[in-house]
Amino acid sequence: MSLLLRVAVASAAHDIVPAWPLDSFIAVNPLAGSESLPFEAAQSLGPLTRQRTAYVTDRKRGRILLADLEAAVRLRIPELTGTVTIGDTTLPTARLAALELEHDQSHDTATGPRAPTLSRLDEITSRWVAAYLTPDSLWSMPHRERGLYPAWRTLIRHDSSLARAERHRLLGLPEDPDAGLAWALEQLGVEADDVQRVLARELHQLPGWASHIKWRAEKVGDIDLTSFLAVRFGTRHALQTPPSLDPTPREQSPAAELQRRAELLAGHLVGENVTPADTSAVSRVLAAHPIRDHLFTWQLAYELNYRGRLLSSLSTEHAPAERPEIQVVMCIDPRSEGARRHLETASTIETFGFAGFFGVPIRFVRHSGKGAINSLPALLTPRHTVTEAPHDRATATRRVTAARQRDAVHAALHAGESGTATSFAFAETAGWFYGLTSVLRTFAPGLLARIRERRLADSAIESSVTVADAFTLEERAVLAEASLRMMGMARFGQLVVLVGHGSDSRNNLYQSALDCGACGGNPGAANARAAAVIFNDADVRELLQARGISIPNETVFVAAEHNTVTDAITLLDTHSLPASHRALADDFIRQQIPAADRLVRERARDLPGASPRHSATRLRRRAHDWAEVYPELGLAGNAAMIIGPRELTRGVDLSRRVFLHSYLPELDPDGTGLETILTAPVVVAQWINHQYYFSSINPDLHGAGTKTVHNAIGTIGVITGQGGDLRRGLPWQSVGVGTALLHEPLRLAVIVQAPLDTIGQIISRNQVLRDLFDNEWITITARGRTTDPWMQYTRYGWHTAPLPPAEGAHQ
Amino acid sequence: MNNLTKMTRIEIVVSAREAPAIRDLITSAGATGYTAVSGVSGIGHHGQHSGALLFNEYDTLTMLITVLPPDKAGDLIDAVRAMLHSSSGVMFVADTYVSRPEYFR
Repeated sequence: MSLLLRVAVASAAHDIVPAWPLDSFIAVNPLAGSESLPFEAAQSLGPLTRQRTAYVTDRKRGRILLADLEAAVRLRIPELTGTVTIGDTTLPTARLAALELEHDQSHDTATGPRAPTLSRLDEITSRWVAAYLTPDSLWSMPHRERGLYPAWRTLIRHDSSLARAERHRLLGLPEDPDAGLAWALEQLGVEADDVQRVLARELHQLPGWASHIKWRAEKVGDIDLTSFLAVRFGTRHALQTPPSLDPTPREQSPAAELQRRAELLAGHLVGENVTPADTSAVSRVLAAHPIRDHLFTWQLAYELNYRGRLLSSLSTEHAPAERPEIQVVMCIDPRSEGARRHLETASTIETFGFAGFFGVPIRFVRHSGKGAINSLPALLTPRHTVTEAPHDRATATRRVTAARQRDAVHAALHAGESGTATSFAFAETAGWFYGLTSVLRTFAPGLLARIRERRLADSAIESSVTVADAFTLEERAVLAEASLRMMGMARFGQLVVLVGHGSDSRNNLYQSALDCGACGGNPGAANARAAAVIFNDADVRELLQARGISIPNETVFVAAEHNTVTDAITLLDTHSLPASHRALADDFIRQQIPAADRLVRERARDLPGASPRHSATRLRRRAHDWAEVYPELGLAGNAAMIIGPRELTRGVDLSRRVFLHSYLPELDPDGTGLETILTAPVVVAQWINHQYYFSSINPDLHGAGTKTVHNAIGTIGVITGQGGDLRRGLPWQSVGVGTALLHEPLRLAVIVQAPLDTIGQIISRNQVLRDLFDNEWITITARGRTTDPWMQYTRYGWHTAPLPPAEGAHQ
Repeated sequence: MNNLTKMTRIEIVVSAREAPAIRDLITSAGATGYTAVSGVSGIGHHGQHSGALLFNEYDTLTMLITVLPPDKAGDLIDAVRAMLHSSSGVMFVADTYVSRPEYFR
């Protein structure tokens, strides 16, 4: 087997982005493989914008202004700076190009591949891969332990879905997957020069499986893309369906098209008296803005409108409030924005934003749990295992034993209800019990939840997390210092609440997508608990003191968790709170309850099927309703990330659309903290933003489709209906309702208050940032001080950021 | 030379995202091992690269070093060169000498 075939497979898979399994759902940019290229160059991988009609509708309702279109044209075509005279009217050339966007309706379609149609080949390949990868299947695939290709090679000769002649063609299959792929390519007559292109096209035929297998090859190792392709091409040979190559892209519009555009626009501006000179002048301008660029200009205008309004809403004041009694640190997740805004109506509370793993990357093992979870950003490899130590070991052992027995009973019942021979008998004998439970779940989900919560509360036992075993004292001090400098915490109240977040819903395969992205798609409680232990550690504080950070003795950190469906915040490990701080903790909870009620009602404005007039209890019942496909909206609407002091945004309603990372340049003189923010939280936010963006723009190819027809492949992922490709991205219920989008697909606008030189240096020494900002996958706008104008970063330097026009200006 | 055996040393610097594919090539070429250094810094064709980042190992550079007998090195060199057509990175190849050749065969 030639290594060059392995190279061809790896190169063909360059654009395939690894897809995490459902139980640790990580949002990714499905086009991340193209981030080293300009955003617009990724068009060959699918539409990158909405259709023109969507932008025109936004233009008519004032969501996009003519000034936005003009600003977008100027940014995209810097040479369009002068004026042009058409008839008796002189107007800026950029406005002329903007006016064309409104009037030329000849190009409505965002082009590029959409979801491929499933063929018989796809159905067969998907069935074999699903059979191989399904965990805990009732009937395990024979020879599975030998790997996908050897197992398939042995079994395919018995596959009755293939005709005898088709099976006969596979008799010569070599034993080894590499040799198998080479053999199949040769049988199909694929030329050596075409191999990489043919393989790449094949991977994009089943992008869901290809993405998951790429992840699995790195993280699990029981399958790889070579085996997948060997099965795929072997089947292709059996079916006698040689691969085809993509056709050559069609030519761009000729000069005649430009003339047509110019005549159309000149006629619109001048009327019947249009002259050849007018048409010629218009033509010279429009030539700089070809039709293929139009949708990108619309998209940029759409984004500039939002960003301009956001920048205008930010405060120019920089006066921190008085020293608060309680400080609350919440995740940068946009959902925290609403919680922080409502909590801050209490004058005694100050809030901060920081990545929800609180700078403590851990692998966490619960005392009662099976296995461990990687509670850290996907950008990191787990190296520190934190365990949970119950205070009463004897009771804990008894309860774990009881829980295991309950698990065994559940497993036996599940086997009974799923078995071919036992399912009917099981339904006859135990169906009445399940029927009763189903009635309760359907008509009284709140009651069932209360019973469940009471049972959990009764069985809960006090425990602590064992941070000292996982991190050395020096490591703890380094993490604590980095966190405090990154979030700009320069003073400390008596109580600092570190609030992780998790989502609570039933019958929801995508629950992990609603948990904390910074914690690897897990709830953030474990990290908050570990961080609180570190910050309360006297030895850590002593080291911090030597590094110039003084945490007063009376300051106590406590962990908490924010339930993003009910908006309740629950304090954790309260047993570790000293008596002196219990009253303050109670005070926090008292203030949090009405804040949560207000937030739940606020969110009800956007939640399908909900109304602000509904009671908070009714709205919270969604967490327990097994028929509810919209328990919450997750991060729908996310559009920007603000890095700076809270004074910038305090009191501003950001509608839960903005990632908020606290930062004070004064605490980070060398910019190390800012570099960490830009290369980690910003990157994670960008992954999330692009996941929502492309799941909205191209839901068939990059989204998972509607939840209502999903079938789970264990915890790996879902398929739509009975077969086909593994679905990637977010389900439609995360981004839309009916046929309308809930999410506005906007590329992330990063807004920073920090010295421009520092930001520029950080970008210039980090390839990931150069790719994202220079290639316009996301934007960064910054100002050094509150009195400075906002400047937008471009690959050619900083330019004044466009802001919304003054009242009365052209709309 | 001092009872040493001549081998070929191959160093490859690629982004951490590309490292798994290169590791796969190294092991497929018959190398008995490799050394990986993550978070390497420097300046190259694509500009400056900062070193290790506190909370991001995914977007840094990784240097992979392997040593193998010269008769096995040719295929790996050809494969890595082809790989670098579709992704950024550099490869350095040099003669080297080892004291325990059986470790590398």
